[in-house]
Amino acid sequence: MNYLYFLYVEFLSKYNIPKLFGDITFYVIPFCIIAAALLVVVLILVLAERKLLGYFTQRKGPNRVGLWGILQTLADAFKLLCKENITPQKADRILFNIAPILAFVPMFAALGIIPYSSEFTFVNTKTNVILYLILAAFPVLSIFIAGWGSNNKYSLFGAMRSIAQVLSYELPITFVILSVVTLASSMNLTEITLAQFSTGGVLGWFVFPCILGFVIMFISILAELNRCPFDLPEAESELICGYNTEYSGMRFAIFYLSEYAMMFANAMFISVLFLGGYLSPFGKYFFDSSFLIYFEQAFWLFLKAGILIFIMIWIRATLPRLASFDLLKFSWAFLLPLSIVNLFISVFYKLLMEGGLWH
Amino acid sequence: MNWNEFQRVFSDCELDGNKIIIKSKLHDVISFVINNYTYNILKEIIAVDTADKGIELIYHLYSKDDEEDLFISIVVQDEAESITDIFESAKADENEIYDMFGIKFEGNEDLKRLYMPEDWKGFPLRKDYVQDDTRLAWNDNNEA
Amino acid sequence: MTTTRLKLNLGPQHPSTHGVLRLLLELEGEKIISCEPDIGYLHRGMEKMAEKMTYIQYLPLVDRIDYLAGFFYSELLCRIVEQALCIELPDKVRAIRVMLLEMNRISSHLLWIGAFLMDLGAVSPFFYAFREREMILRYFEKLTGQRMMYNYFVFGGVRKDIDYLEDVEYIVSYLPQKLDEYEKIITENPIFLRRTEGKGILEPDTAYSFAITGANLRASGIDDDYRKSDYLYKGFDFKPIVLDNKDSWARYKARVLEIRESLNIISQALDYLKKADKLEQRLINPINLKLPQGDYSAEIEAPRGLACCFVRSDGQEKPYRLKWRTGSYYSVNLLRELLKGEYLNDAIAIAGSLDIILPEVDK
Repeated sequence: MNYLYFLYVEFLSKYNIPKLFGDITFYVIPFCIIAAALLVVVLILVLAERKLLGYFTQRKGPNRVGLWGILQTLADAFKLLCKENITPQKADRILFNIAPILAFVPMFAALGIIPYSSEFTFVNTKTNVILYLILAAFPVLSIFIAGWGSNNKYSLFGAMRSIAQVLSYELPITFVILSVVTLASSMNLTEITLAQFSTGGVLGWFVFPCILGFVIMFISILAELNRCPFDLPEAESELICGYNTEYSGMRFAIFYLSEYAMMFANAMFISVLFLGGYLSPFGKYFFDSSFLIYFEQAFWLFLKAGILIFIMIWIRATLPRLASFDLLKFSWAFLLPLSIVNLFISVFYKLLMEGGLWH
Repeated sequence: MNWNEFQRVFSDCELDGNKIIIKSKLHDVISFVINNYTYNILKEIIAVDTADKGIELIYHLYSKDDEEDLFISIVVQDEAESITDIFESAKADENEIYDMFGIKFEGNEDLKRLYMPEDWKGFPLRKDYVQDDTRLAWNDNNEA
Repeated sequence: MTTTRLKLNLGPQHPSTHGVLRLLLELEGEKIISCEPDIGYLHRGMEKMAEKMTYIQYLPLVDRIDYLAGFFYSELLCRIVEQALCIELPDKVRAIRVMLLEMNRISSHLLWIGAFLMDLGAVSPFFYAFREREMILRYFEKLTGQRMMYNYFVFGGVRKDIDYLEDVEYIVSYLPQKLDEYEKIITENPIFLRRTEGKGILEPDTAYSFAITGANLRASGIDDDYRKSDYLYKGFDFKPIVLDNKDSWARYKARVLEIRESLNIISQALDYLKKADKLEQRLINPINLKLPQGDYSAEIEAPRGLACCFVRSDGQEKPYRLKWRTGSYYSVNLLRELLKGEYLNDAIAIAGSLDIILPEVDK
């Protein structure tokens, strides 16, 4: 239980509300906060992607709705909300309807376990990393259900490709995370963040001992997110839209939303693992008051995630799509061995740092 | 090409510019031309409805080495010999001619309606084709 | 466990069939067992229409056979009429026509590069190619009043004298450096190379048998460019682009190099036009234009292969029979052969590399 919890229970006890109520709601309220914050973040992300892609391709991007096109995503979301929700006649109705929910829920949960600042982690367990791994791999289930349930051959191909892709890229991710866990000697994300603290700021980050792991992780996350150049499951020129070809209206919007939210969550996750999470890159914070420091910490985390997302969009504007066989080969024959090498490097580094090699 | 040599083998033909007009044995003529001269590409097959005599098929051959065009012309009624075993591209041409002129090519199994709907009656590029199909909205007969 | 083959209907409303091509694919997993192209969704009856119209009525329509390379088809029809009436074109008309044809070829190839890269999943080159194509289209619009359906060539010459040559000059000086940029982001891209090198090999024999012409044939190592024997190009110094790789990459590279070669031709035409006098041409009065009885055929090297026009005239105002040969029509039929045994992922790239455009296929 952390500082926020006590603050909350204290607040409740002022109004004579039993502690049990506080225990229960303490885990519910954060998710409401996330839900609200997430919508804003996704709106910004979608706009950012469209704007940036526009600038990369010598266009202006959306610039009609609101100042600088700020309200464009809102307008699009509203449009999707108004559209008819079509369920194909021969689709499996239950699976078809359950898929968007399954895409959305784990993404929410994943956002709950990320340490936004030193006291602001909604769910803080000892093995956060494992929990995150499970939640990050969950959307593939929803993709498969969507592809299978919509009874469309293109969707099915998209789902097939997605499963093959996630299965093969999950392993390098696991090995890389293992090496980070070794370096930090902990599976808790907050402790991993704190293990990267040094007065030198940037120098303590795990990106330096395992730069290799960082690159592998970034590439594999791109694959897990089905983003270019690994966007085979939703390859527009081949499979029209992949697994969500048959989806329309709000269900499509939910897929869209969870895709961007997952991108944000994964970017933050990489920042936590390698870029010091909420730690300041200068080794000290600008604000002194303990309250403002929380915001500064969150700002650093968001900034790091933002930079990673910018790189993702940049890659999308630059690279063509991989061929399906290269995609799998790249993971099994290249990334997996490298990630194991990375694990050894970090183990040696850890032993070296603690002087364990001479014992 | 050597016209005299050609005429020795196929006597029943005449030359008109770079067009050879034959009466029959289309497949034999074309395979002879391919095997004995340097013609290696069938640019197109042109069909013309001559109204009275039948439908004239003009095979446009080209020799890359000699940079020479050759037209082989034959008048057929409703059936013709297919040359798909010599040129793969003839499949496309013959199909188009079947669609537009209704000529059946013996030996070409893949003939089907190409541009026109599957159940379309008549062959549009024939001179005796009358545009009276009731499906045409602008047709005078369709005023009901 | 039993496995069945999957029948997949690719098109006619598929994002990467460049129009309304429908491919009936039989798949085993993602491997293509057989491919059956189904065309005719864009059939406008160009040949039937010709029989009902006089030559001048038909002339504006032929631009629409291939809306990306309209000049080539109107040039063909003009050529038929000029050939029938034995008209010798003045040098200046020839230079104007060659310059516009080559510019049109460039715009067509640029669009293809963009669309091909889009098929491969790269977004940006599409916009870059369109940016350059836009310059050419702007010039065409200034000159002819139209961006795609120019209707600028008329029987015996051109509709009006050439103008705005400084625009062409700018394009000629500007495009090469942009092409260098393309080569940097496309040709040197390892993913692009992996996806095109050795994919969709087109052997010369197969190409001949399927009557493939144009850049696709030249990318298979055969030096066959009709422009060499074309009277319009007489006096222009250029060499056909021939590559020996036979694969999708060669077809891409051939088109990029062809753009450079076209720029070379344009600058030669430009040099001539800048010094040339006022346009003097003898236009044919198209009212009551009758071609003498007989068969006429003309050919031209269009961006998507050899285009031929055959006209049989019976001495009337309207052609008795008019037949078009278009390059894309034969490329579509090649898909049957070329896609066999490929994976869906590569198949799109291979089909894209052939530069098929559907209005040309369906006529």
